[in-house]
Amino acid sequence: MSFSRSKPFKIAVMVLRIVLGAIFMYAAYAKLAESWRLFAAGIASYEVLPMWTVEILARTLPWLELLIGVLLIVGRWRRVSTLATSGLLLVFFGLMVRAYIKGMTIDCGCFGPGEAISWKTLLRDGSMLAGSLVVTVAAFLNRPPSTSPQRRREEKVPAETV
Amino acid sequence: MRLWNAPTNRLSAAALAVFLPFLSPTGAAGQGPSAHGAGQVGTGQGKSLGNPAAPILVEMYSDFQCPHCKHLHETFLPGFIKDYVDTGKAYFVCREFPLQGFGPKSREAAAYATAAGRIGKFQPVAHALFQNQASWVLSGKIWETVAAVLTPAEQAKVQTLFKDPAIAAEVQHDVDTGLKIPVTSTPTLVLTHRLQQRPWTFFDDGGTLFRGYMDELLKK
Repeated sequence: MSFSRSKPFKIAVMVLRIVLGAIFMYAAYAKLAESWRLFAAGIASYEVLPMWTVEILARTLPWLELLIGVLLIVGRWRRVSTLATSGLLLVFFGLMVRAYIKGMTIDCGCFGPGEAISWKTLLRDGSMLAGSLVVTVAAFLNRPPSTSPQRRREEKVPAETV
Repeated sequence: MRLWNAPTNRLSAAALAVFLPFLSPTGAAGQGPSAHGAGQVGTGQGKSLGNPAAPILVEMYSDFQCPHCKHLHETFLPGFIKDYVDTGKAYFVCREFPLQGFGPKSREAAAYATAAGRIGKFQPVAHALFQNQASWVLSGKIWETVAAVLTPAEQAKVQTLFKDPAIAAEVQHDVDTGLKIPVTSTPTLVLTHRLQQRPWTFFDDGGTLFRGYMDELLKK
């Protein structure tokens, strides 16, 4: 039995996935509870996107975060949701590192306004990214039981031959 | 947006013209009921504009050496004051936030401006400090820049007040208040509406996003 299929590993991955889901849901809530303009100001201060895309992103990204958070917690569409989580966190982390290196004193924009980018926010988001990558890899390694009858028959064969 | 675009002196003059008639040299700001919910606002004397009972309290945390603050002072503030402060929609208070990275000159400039506020001359002094930023930052001639917009009698008063520990304490109070919010960079406009504080640090050209947010708060 490989380590990725061991029970402790599966439990750890499940906990990690739920924690990430809760964080994503909280991040979405923090943004949706405020005006989209506050989040737009946060995105715009990174100075990487034109203003017209900033508005679109500010209006849609919190909903995407909410959807991803829900999917991570309920454990549906694991590969898609974990891949999306890792993708988003990779982009967020990359932008934050860029801003930090450039010495930009701007808000992180992670959980609403008023939190400047610092080594603490980088450490937090870096840890989240690492956790997300583990969950993503686990989602691809541990394929969930298939619902297709043909696949189910194939999966049953080794057990019946024992 | 690049905040250190070329300064526009005409706009600076307009800012000064807008500021001057609304000074509150008596320091009576914050009296009476306030719709923004912050109650009595501890304002530096002569450093506020508008109606203390306005629905939104806008506190500007800035540093006289910061190029972004100079840009905000010269390009964004005149329009903001005309549209929101003069119309009674917002109460505007200037706060000092001398950044450590700029060295002691920032705090000295802040102290001179605060002292000038005590005699109702905050805005002319603030304007002079921003307009001549490049010059005094290099030469270190802060007092000369301040004195240029004051009469000899006012100069004497400001010099006396500058030595008063209460002025340094007021600057420090602004810094401490800002850090608690938290203000993380300058310039930051802190909006208080119905007891909720929101720091705002992004100023696009024309301040479209900020104005949109202000209008949204006013509709609530």
